[in-house]
Amino acid sequence: MSLFELPILPMSATSAAGGCASGGCATGGCASGGCSTARPDQASETSRREFLKTATTLTLGAMSLTLLPGAMAGDESSSAAAPPGGGHPDAKKPMYGFLIDTTKCIGAGKCLTACRVENGVPDGQARTWVERYVHFKDGRVEVDLVPEIGYAASGEPQPEAEDVLRAYFVPKLCNQCVDAPCNQVCPVHASIKSPEGIELVDTDRCIGCGYCVQACPYGIRYMNHETNVADKCNWCYHRVMRNEQPACVEACPTGARVFGRIDDPDSEISKRLATLPTSVLKQHLGTIPLTRYVGLTDEVT
Amino acid sequence: MTSFNDTRHLWALGAFLAAVGLVGMVVRRELVPDDFGRTGPYRASALDDIAARPSLFQADATCHACHESVEHERAGTLHEAVRCAHCHGHAVEHVATARRAAEDPSITLPPAAEWDGDFFTKVDLYVTKDRATCLSCHAAVVGMPADFKKIDVALHLEEQGASEPLAKETCFECHGGHDTAP
Repeated sequence: MSLFELPILPMSATSAAGGCASGGCATGGCASGGCSTARPDQASETSRREFLKTATTLTLGAMSLTLLPGAMAGDESSSAAAPPGGGHPDAKKPMYGFLIDTTKCIGAGKCLTACRVENGVPDGQARTWVERYVHFKDGRVEVDLVPEIGYAASGEPQPEAEDVLRAYFVPKLCNQCVDAPCNQVCPVHASIKSPEGIELVDTDRCIGCGYCVQACPYGIRYMNHETNVADKCNWCYHRVMRNEQPACVEACPTGARVFGRIDDPDSEISKRLATLPTSVLKQHLGTIPLTRYVGLTDEVT
Repeated sequence: MTSFNDTRHLWALGAFLAAVGLVGMVVRRELVPDDFGRTGPYRASALDDIAARPSLFQADATCHACHESVEHERAGTLHEAVRCAHCHGHAVEHVATARRAAEDPSITLPPAAEWDGDFFTKVDLYVTKDRATCLSCHAAVVGMPADFKKIDVALHLEEQGASEPLAKETCFECHGGHDTAP
C-alpha cells in the first residue's frame, strides 16, 4: 500500500487552495504561459470539493467503526459510571467510617499481627502501622515505629520519661479518601472505589506499575514483594461485607480503633464522632479522608 | 469538468482505517473484561473476588462457641477486651480443623503446642503462661495513656516479692490468666 504518498494529496490540495484564496490568481505560476498542463481553476475547485467530500465520508466511516467496539463492550458502563472521584454513587449503600482514638492506643502492636495474619501481608511490609510521637521538654519531637512484637520484647532503648512532655501513639491505615489520588492515576482501572466508598485493588488486573504507590500522599500503598502488584489496607473489605469488624479493630484491646456505619446514628462510631473533636490527616490536600483521628497534634501528617 | 484522479489513495486510506478499526475492535474485546464498567469504572466481579477472601483473624465469639466456660470466666473482667488470639495464637488452623470436625466426627483436634515465645509465629494455637505475653501489653512504655495499667517490671516484681522474677510463669503466681485480678 502506498501509504507514504498519502500526505502529498492534501498538501497539494491545500497549496492550490492557498495560492488562489485571494482570488484573481488566474492560473498561478502558469499565468506567464508556457506550462502546457495547465490546471484550470474550475477543475481544481471541483476536485478539491470532491476530495473533501470523499475524505470526510471515509474519515467519519472509520471513526464510527472505532466507536463500535466501545458500544459493544461497555455501553452500560458509561451510563452507570460512578461520579468523578468515586464517592457514593448509590445513596442506599452503607457508609462506613473509621475512628482512631490516639488517647487510647497503648502501642502493643496487636493490630499489626492481626492484619498480617488476616491479609497475608509479607514480612517487612505493612498495611497498617503505629507511629509514636514523643514531644520532649526541650522542644524536640521524635517519631518512631512501634515494633510488631511490642517495645518490651524488642528491647529498643526508650526515652527517659522525665524528659518527655507528651508522648502518644498514632495508628496509621488507609484513609479511604473520597477523592482518592491513588485511584485517579491507575492506568488499567485496577484501583476500585467500591460502592461503599472503600478503595480496593483488583490484583488480577494490576500490572504493578506503581503509580498509585507514588500517588498516595499517606504512603499507605506498597508493592507487595510476593505478588508484585500494588497492595493496600482496604478496611478488611471481605470481613466488612460479612458484617464483621476489620481484623485490626477486632484485635485492639483498648478500643483505640473504632469502625462502623456512619449512616447509622446508633452505631458506636457515630456516637463517638458526634461528640469527640476529630480531625483528618493532611486536610489541606483536599482528599477528604474517611479515617478520622482524636488527639492529633500538628506534627502528625 | 475533470474528475478527481487520485481516488485510489482515498480508498487505500479508507481501507487502512477500517482495518485499524477492526483490529482495535478485536483487541479491545480480548483485553476488556466482560463485566467491566457494570457498577463503575472497574471490573465488577473484582468486588466479589475480594469479598470472597476468608476471615482468618478469629473473633472471640468463634472461640467461645466451643470454649464456653472461658467466656464466663472472662466476662466483666478488665481483660474482657483482650482477644483470645493475643495470648493463645491466631489459631487459624485450629479453627479450620474444628469446623471440619463439627461435620466429620472422625477428625480429632491436635493438642495446643508449646509457645516458643515468637509473636510472629502466633498463627498456631498455644497454651501460654508466659510473662512475655503479659508484658507485650503491660510493660511501661513512654507514650501509654495515663489510665492504662503500666508495669515497671523490675519494681513491681520486687515490691510483690516474686519468688523467681525471671521465671516464665512469674505473673501467674498472683494473677489469673482469664480473670486477672490479683
